[in-house]
Amino acid sequence: MLNLILKDIYMQKNALFILLPALIIYLLIGTSAVWICIVFCIVIITDSFAKDEKTPSNLLLNALPYTRKEIVSSKYISALAFIFLVLLTIFLGNWLMHGEFIQLDQLLLITGIVIVSISFIFPFSYLFKSQYLMRAFIIGFIAYMVIINLFIPNLNDRIRNFVQTVLSFDNSQVYFIILLSVVLFYILSFLLSIRIYSRKVF
Amino acid sequence: MQIIISNHSKEPIYEQIYVQIKKHILTNEIQAGQALPSMRQLAKDLNISIITTKRAYEELEKNGFIFSIVGKGSFVSEQNNEMIRERKMQAIEEQLTAVIQNSKEIGIKLPELKELLTMLYKEDT
Amino acid sequence: MENVIELHHVNKTFKGFQIKDLSISVKKGFVTGFIGGNGVGKSTTIKMILNLLQPDSGSVSVFGLDYKKNEKEIKQRIGFVFDQNIFYEDLTLTEMKRLIKPAYKNWDDSLFHHYAEKFDLPLKKKMKTFSKGMLMKASLTFALSHHAELIIMDEPTSGLDPIFRRELLEILHDLMQDSSRTIFFSTHITTDLDRIADYITFIHNGEHVFTKEQNRIEEEYAIVKGETNLLDSDTEQEFISVRKSNHGFEALTINKQHTKKIFGDTVILEKPTLEDIMLYTKKGM
Repeated sequence: MLNLILKDIYMQKNALFILLPALIIYLLIGTSAVWICIVFCIVIITDSFAKDEKTPSNLLLNALPYTRKEIVSSKYISALAFIFLVLLTIFLGNWLMHGEFIQLDQLLLITGIVIVSISFIFPFSYLFKSQYLMRAFIIGFIAYMVIINLFIPNLNDRIRNFVQTVLSFDNSQVYFIILLSVVLFYILSFLLSIRIYSRKVF
Repeated sequence: MQIIISNHSKEPIYEQIYVQIKKHILTNEIQAGQALPSMRQLAKDLNISIITTKRAYEELEKNGFIFSIVGKGSFVSEQNNEMIRERKMQAIEEQLTAVIQNSKEIGIKLPELKELLTMLYKEDT
Repeated sequence: MENVIELHHVNKTFKGFQIKDLSISVKKGFVTGFIGGNGVGKSTTIKMILNLLQPDSGSVSVFGLDYKKNEKEIKQRIGFVFDQNIFYEDLTLTEMKRLIKPAYKNWDDSLFHHYAEKFDLPLKKKMKTFSKGMLMKASLTFALSHHAELIIMDEPTSGLDPIFRRELLEILHDLMQDSSRTIFFSTHITTDLDRIADYITFIHNGEHVFTKEQNRIEEEYAIVKGETNLLDSDTEQEFISVRKSNHGFEALTINKQHTKKIFGDTVILEKPTLEDIMLYTKKGM
């Protein structure tokens, strides 16, 4: 399985060579590192996913001595590796250029949001195809707007309140809860993806 | 050992191989105890399937021309070879007796018969 | 004789297509040609043998092992060739090797280079620049570089020129010098099979028609040609199917000796090609 993870990273080497230095440039300009990092992580990970999505690649991977479980697992683990690479880059970049460490909560925020997004993206893409992600995102956004406007006009306020309440807890407690739910979410998504992928017909 | 097979012959390929190897054995072109090429090698050389050479070898073995030792290959049989010669000689004697009888019935003399035999023998090579 | 592949009562249903109670076995140490028209289930069957598809019911075993327990062990011992490009288009052959090599315990770099050189494959060009023939050669190179005991190929000769088809047969003959090796491949170019296949497995409409030794086929089957007036409802029973014209009939019999007895010298009996058998069987069903 390690081979599969290394394969994913190896195949993204060109993307990493371009995107990671670009990250440094963004840091130099001084844009918010958090959002840039999140976007970069998701772009790299979904691109890596899309490369294995075509039927021929699935034929190849499944005919090689790997199990379907391993193929799915490798995607979830290499996603973590990509997040780590991005975080390491901004961490080092920030330290070298600005002489300061990035705050832990920023790193956690990036990791959390990326993992939650991937937890949605992977099972969705295994079930349909990653090319439909954009459509799903737009439909989801419209649905959200409709809900806000028609049914629960104060949804945004409620969410804000909920976040406020969570943040009013003790810091370490909040981190722990968030971390736990993110991990749990990732595992659930992983189990769901295995279920979907093992029934897939190429 | 030369084996020429025809893909367009009515005779099945295994039989063509059988007949030719048998001829090589009976004419002593390959001697008793000598190894035949392996089935797989022969199949490759003749560009035919293994099961075809296997069948030919099985027929040869069944009729006592060759014997196989597992893991070593196939060899030309010894005693059976002489036995076959003897059996053939016997058959030839019987057939010739019949020829002589038939000849006498219609009055063909020995020199004439000899001449006929020589001619036919030379024709069929 | 030992079987390398065994399918028992396998059923698989797709939209508008079905594999019905398929039981086939592939003998160890021999070459089995897998024939049938387009869309009769050859590729589906091959995918089930490689565990790319699971049957709805029935069982598939390879090397006597079950995919549920021994998936990786089975696949370690198989070399596969598909009829489509399965490589990452933007990678070169060397890069593909880097990805595939670590998957196999018995990978042999010298074999890989031997075949890559023999097939004149460029190591540094992207896979998307490869022609169909080159892609097939590349697949074959990978299939042969890890000492696989079982080589499974789906339509390996389609899209190849006759010269390379001959070369491929040479290679297969070389591989079969090792009696522990087995080759199973599907094709619709049946003339490829005459020179290499020991057994022929024929399926039609998702059903097994026969698996026979190649030699037995010409002993049992025959093309019968004769005058139309020899045919009546009784004698027609003798054939799998009959093609009639104004000038006579042509038919396929599955029992050559019996047909000979019935018709004697009034008809001509000819050795059928596999294509004849496929064609008449299709018409007779």
